[in-house]
Amino acid sequence: MICELVKLEEVYRTKDGAVLQCNNKNCFWLEFAGNHTAFRVQDFLQFKKTVDQIDLEDMLIDSSRASDYTLLMPFRTQRCFLLDVTQLLALKEILQGAMFMLELNSLLKACLTDKPMVSHN
Amino acid sequence: MKDLIGLKTSIGEKIESALNAQIKVEAHSSSIYLAMASWCDYQGYDFSSDFFLEQADEERAHMMKIFHYVKNRGGKAVSPEVVNVPQDFESFRSVFEQALEQEMHVTKQFNNLADLCFKEKDFVTFQFLQWFLEEQVEEEYTMRRAIELFDVIGEEGTGAWDIDKHIPKITFDRG
Ligand SMILES: [Fe+2]
Repeated sequence: MICELVKLEEVYRTKDGAVLQCNNKNCFWLEFAGNHTAFRVQDFLQFKKTVDQIDLEDMLIDSSRASDYTLLMPFRTQRCFLLDVTQLLALKEILQGAMFMLELNSLLKACLTDKPMVSHN
Repeated sequence: MKDLIGLKTSIGEKIESALNAQIKVEAHSSSIYLAMASWCDYQGYDFSSDFFLEQADEERAHMMKIFHYVKNRGGKAVSPEVVNVPQDFESFRSVFEQALEQEMHVTKQFNNLADLCFKEKDFVTFQFLQWFLEEQVEEEYTMRRAIELFDVIGEEGTGAWDIDKHIPKITFDRG
């Protein structure tokens, strides 16, 4: 997917990265670990769920070397992420923050477009 | 900002994952009843075996009802992974007692779901759950009635045979 970067709206940003949205193509861009990755809406939601389900505690307790990193290969993107616990924490924060902002945006939209309740007196 | 998620789905993240969890519970119920049907057949309780086969089909239908609802509202319905299905049971009576416990667990899950709908102000899903909440009254009633047969008839002599014969006759009157 190619979107004009100037037209992207920032959803949420931390010092480690950001989520941006493209209103032309209806997609989200994840800016993380030095790269930009585009997600269709449903793939973005799925990616967030996958990241949410990673058990960081498990990674820390498990002493095998393979458990130091988690490999994420989201479908329909040309990207794979090999992340340690610190990076995963940062990614979780970005995705959760973005999700919160998106939900807030939906709520605000609903408030602004809903007509006030008709009073019967 | 354009509401991209709202354009894709009408179902909140929490409600979607709770409904998917319920899909899994229904699938689990279905598998448990199938195991009970097999056990009853193996022990020679033909009517109870048929009864549990029917229950297994019903649970599968419940699962599909939720499955379709999730996807119809723009969510991602998850095909459930089913583990921990008991294959052996202590006694004829204990099969029904476990079935009742399973139904009570399901009722509790639906209650929690309804509670979540209120918290999330998702009254569309709340409305969808009404059918299941009513259904649970019947499911629990049927299992309780079955267990009562063990006390009323007694398992001695040809008692178990009699109980088995009475299982399909249990009916629920919605009043
Ligand atoms: Fe059910």
